[in-house]
Amino acid sequence: MKKLITLVLALTLIFTVAGCAAPTTTDPGTSNPGTTDPGTNGGSSESKHKIYLITMDQMDQHWVTVDQGAKKAADELGNVDYQWLAPDVKDDAKQIESINNAIAGGAEAILLAANGPDAVTATLKEAEAEGIKIIYVDSPADFPAVQTLATDNEAAGKTAGEEMISALNDKGITSGKIGIVNVNASTDSTVKREAGFRSAFEGTGFEILETQYADGDAARSKDVAANYITEGVVGIFGGNEGSTVGIGNAIKEAGGDVIGVGFDKSDTIMQLIDEGHLLATMSQNPDVMGYEGMKTAVDVLEGKTIDTDYVDTGVSVLKK
Amino acid sequence: MENQKISKKFLKLFSKRGMGQVITVSVGLVVLIVVFGILNPNFFSNRNISNLLRQIAPIILIGVGQSYVLITGNIDLSIGSVVGMSCMVSATLMSKGMNPWLAVLVSYLAALMVGFLNGKLVSSAKLPAFIATLGTMTIARGIAQIVNNNYNTDSIGPAAEGFRNFFYYGKSFGLYNTIWIAFAIWLIFNFILSRTRTGRHIYAVGSNIHAANLSGVNISSTITKTYLVSAVCSATVGLIITATSGMGTMDAGTSYELYAVASSVIGGVSTLGGQGILLGTIVGASIWGVLQNGLQFAGAPVAIRNIVIGIIVIISVLLDIVVRANKNMAKVKANSKA
Repeated sequence: MKKLITLVLALTLIFTVAGCAAPTTTDPGTSNPGTTDPGTNGGSSESKHKIYLITMDQMDQHWVTVDQGAKKAADELGNVDYQWLAPDVKDDAKQIESINNAIAGGAEAILLAANGPDAVTATLKEAEAEGIKIIYVDSPADFPAVQTLATDNEAAGKTAGEEMISALNDKGITSGKIGIVNVNASTDSTVKREAGFRSAFEGTGFEILETQYADGDAARSKDVAANYITEGVVGIFGGNEGSTVGIGNAIKEAGGDVIGVGFDKSDTIMQLIDEGHLLATMSQNPDVMGYEGMKTAVDVLEGKTIDTDYVDTGVSVLKK
Repeated sequence: MENQKISKKFLKLFSKRGMGQVITVSVGLVVLIVVFGILNPNFFSNRNISNLLRQIAPIILIGVGQSYVLITGNIDLSIGSVVGMSCMVSATLMSKGMNPWLAVLVSYLAALMVGFLNGKLVSSAKLPAFIATLGTMTIARGIAQIVNNNYNTDSIGPAAEGFRNFFYYGKSFGLYNTIWIAFAIWLIFNFILSRTRTGRHIYAVGSNIHAANLSGVNISSTITKTYLVSAVCSATVGLIITATSGMGTMDAGTSYELYAVASSVIGGVSTLGGQGILLGTIVGASIWGVLQNGLQFAGAPVAIRNIVIGIIVIISVLLDIVVRANKNMAKVKANSKA
């Protein structure tokens, strides 16, 4: 009995150690706030700037790509001590914790993708009071920043809607029901995409049904999309990668008459487009957000003037 | 005379362990189906009935796993994470070119390791089930994240079409394979629980663990078996999700342990242990699935859906408590007369 318990505990320990050995870490730095040297602003380029990236979560490949862009710039610049913090799920309170950890960790600049526009503003005030520079990547909050680098999600959503309408009109369809599978009602970027998509349909003969939320989960999104197809929709829109994968799988199964349009680029989505089950996906440029955002952060910390307060990193329409 | 015969049959039926609750919630299920059908006739279309049955199947599976554990008076919070881990392990291996069926085997083995760990932590190390499975929940979710280096996987590819059809998209005898898989697994585990010594031991542990121990039941072995059952059911759901999406997602299965508890409890399984049958779990899972599906056809916002589902969970269990209390009152009266 004792040997068995020892074995079980040893196995648990092994798993834990394996977890600690993960190549990607989101732990805050161990340095204390007192090490921040105000003299580095406009001073020597030999000391490293401590810069954090904080995203909505760490699951979505979109954020991984932002991280890669930021890393690339940090490596090129050479004088950056870079760290990526993120909650394991999209959650305002958890993101606030990450920001607090970055402040406590001695951040000089933070690249932030705000989960919601309002929840983090009080924390950002604290950050600003500490002299920390804020740069938004992907999703801004309602608080002034050095620069925002983002996709104009509303414009991108409208483009998606226009692509769908164009395809439907090509098939001679000028009225019918449209379904929307989105992530949730509080993530600003996906809410804007939906708003843009809906705006494309104003004044047309199409009716948009009640939006369904599936948390960006591909399997749940598939179920929701299948239900829409049973309702007889002629088109379905997906607000992010997982939603779009779900839509594509549902249309694939149903036989492909329904037009599917969505967001984000992934191997699975590109395969569904190549097979003809999805019409198009709006591909953002998250690596550019991370890369240029990092450069802006270093520029501002070294005393340079930042002339552009908004950079539209754009969207590409990917089709067969 | 004839009335007496009929009433005897009913009494016999009701006296079966947990059957009263099953009948109660079955009536509720029928009412729900009728209401949704009236609100939107598309609910009754052939396509939706097929989809609905397939949507319910994974809930039945995790419900069966959770029911086994609950009947011993324990709980399994790692179900959702094991679903996610199985999804990511299988999808990662397939997307890198491994034979799909070999990947399936590896996924089951990984899940069984977690199930075994749960069983030993609870039965041998005497950790409270809530704490032990909370720990393994986090471990399994971590494995789901690490297995593809913190990425969702690429597509599992055309080579996995057979796998996808077997677990999700294919049909046999007019019904989706997912339904047959859930039914087969339910049949096996229902047989074990209701017709074998192992099943009697599971109920005995949940009813009175000390009496069971004194009767010679191997407590450790019995509890471990229930967690292994839970692991097998969770792994199967993970594979179904991989087949559905054609890729692996790190957060697959989130909250599934709660759906499993809801299905079990609605169906009459008691969280105190020793009570409930797997037929009730089917009804509980069906109510859960019908609500998810039907409320979408009713055009209800997700917030309303969550409120309705929560209320119905509470009402289902409340009904059981009320019915049981009445039975006890009847017994007390009968005794006082004697």
